[in-house]
Amino acid sequence: MDFLSKNEKILENEFINQGFIIRVAANKDALNKIQKFAIDMLSRKGGGSLDNAHKNISINELNDFRLDVIKEINAQPWLREAYYKIAKPYLDILVGNELAMQSRVNLSIQLPEDDSSLLPVHADTWSGDSPFEVVVWLPLVDCFNTKSMYLLPPKEANHLSNDFKLHVQGNSEELFNAIKNDVDWIKINYGEVLIFNQACPHGNRVNKESETRWSMNCRFKGLFTPYKDKKIGEFFEPITLRPVSKIAMNYKLPITE
Amino acid sequence: MEERVPQHVQNIVIRDYCSKKDMQYLLSSTEYAMKNSALMLRQLVKNLPSIDGIVAYSIFQMPEDDVERQSIFNSVLLLKKEIHFAVEGLYLYDNDTYNNIENIWQVKKTLPNCNFLEIVKN
Repeated sequence: MDFLSKNEKILENEFINQGFIIRVAANKDALNKIQKFAIDMLSRKGGGSLDNAHKNISINELNDFRLDVIKEINAQPWLREAYYKIAKPYLDILVGNELAMQSRVNLSIQLPEDDSSLLPVHADTWSGDSPFEVVVWLPLVDCFNTKSMYLLPPKEANHLSNDFKLHVQGNSEELFNAIKNDVDWIKINYGEVLIFNQACPHGNRVNKESETRWSMNCRFKGLFTPYKDKKIGEFFEPITLRPVSKIAMNYKLPITE
Repeated sequence: MEERVPQHVQNIVIRDYCSKKDMQYLLSSTEYAMKNSALMLRQLVKNLPSIDGIVAYSIFQMPEDDVERQSIFNSVLLLKKEIHFAVEGLYLYDNDTYNNIENIWQVKKTLPNCNFLEIVKN
C-alpha cells in the first residue's frame, strides 16, 4: 500500500535512484539572511564577493577564518531554524516531519588550488553516522565541477560496497581512482538546496575553478529512528516534536497498586 | 543512563567547557557509584544559593526518574541559577531550555522502544 502523492513519488524516486535531490530553496529570506551573514564576515577580511574570497584570504589563514565564521554563525539564535526552513518541504517528504537536527551547522570554504582542506572519499555511515540521516547541503555561491562536491550514485555505491574487500589494503586516493569515472559532480546554483544520501561515498577534490566555494551542511534524521555514534543530545536535537509524541512519552498507565 | 566515561576524562571535558564559556571552575563533585544515586547532586542543588550554577558532564547523568530529575531542574529554576551539560553544550536556565532538555530525555528513554531491528525481526 502506498498513499504517497505524485509529487512525493517523483522526489522519492529521484532520491533513491540518484542519491540526491536538488530543489529551489523553500525559504528565500532565510537563505539570503545566511548568505548576508557570510558576506558580512568576509567584509572583515576586506570584503568583495564570496566567489572572490580567495583574493582576500590566503590558504594559511583560511582555517582560522572558517572556524571564526562557524563559531559566530552558530551563535546566531536564528540560524538553525532558518536552515531548516530552506529544506523543510523536501525533508518532510524524504525523512518525515518529526525530526532531529544536528546541533551545529558546518561551513566549507574551498579556495581555488587549496589542497589543505579536502574531504577524501567517504560515506558518513563508514564513520559512525546512522543510515537514517540525510545531509542538507546549502551552497552560498554557484557550485559546479571541482568547485562542488561529488557523489557516487546508489547503484555504483552498492557495487563498491560488495567489492570493498578489493580496496581495504589501499588508501583513500586509490579508492577515489577506482570510482572517479562513476561519480556525479553536483551542479547547483545559489538559491537551490541539495539533500543527499550520506551513505553514498562522496567528497571533494582540489578546486580547479577560478572561484571560491562556500557551502554549508547539516544532518537531519527522523527523531525516533536508530542513532549510531552521533547521539541525541550531544549531536542531534529534536526540532519538530509532535503533540502526540509529547503526550505519549509522558504517558503512564493508571496506578492499580 | 547507561553512560560511563572515566572520571578524569569527565573532569577534562568540564574544565574545557568552563574555560570556553569563561566560567570560573570552583569545585569538583563526584556522585556516589551506587545505582540511581543522586545524593551528591541533591547536595549541590542545596548549596546552589552560594554559587552561580552547576556544570555536569552530561544530561544523561541526571536522575532517570522523571519526578526526581524534574524536581532538581525546578529547584535550579526557582533559585534563578543554571545547570550546564558539557558534552551536549546545552544549559538549563528558563522554561524553554527546561522543555528542550526534558524532550531530549524523553526521546532517549523512548528510543529503546523504537528499535528498528526489533521491528524487522517481528
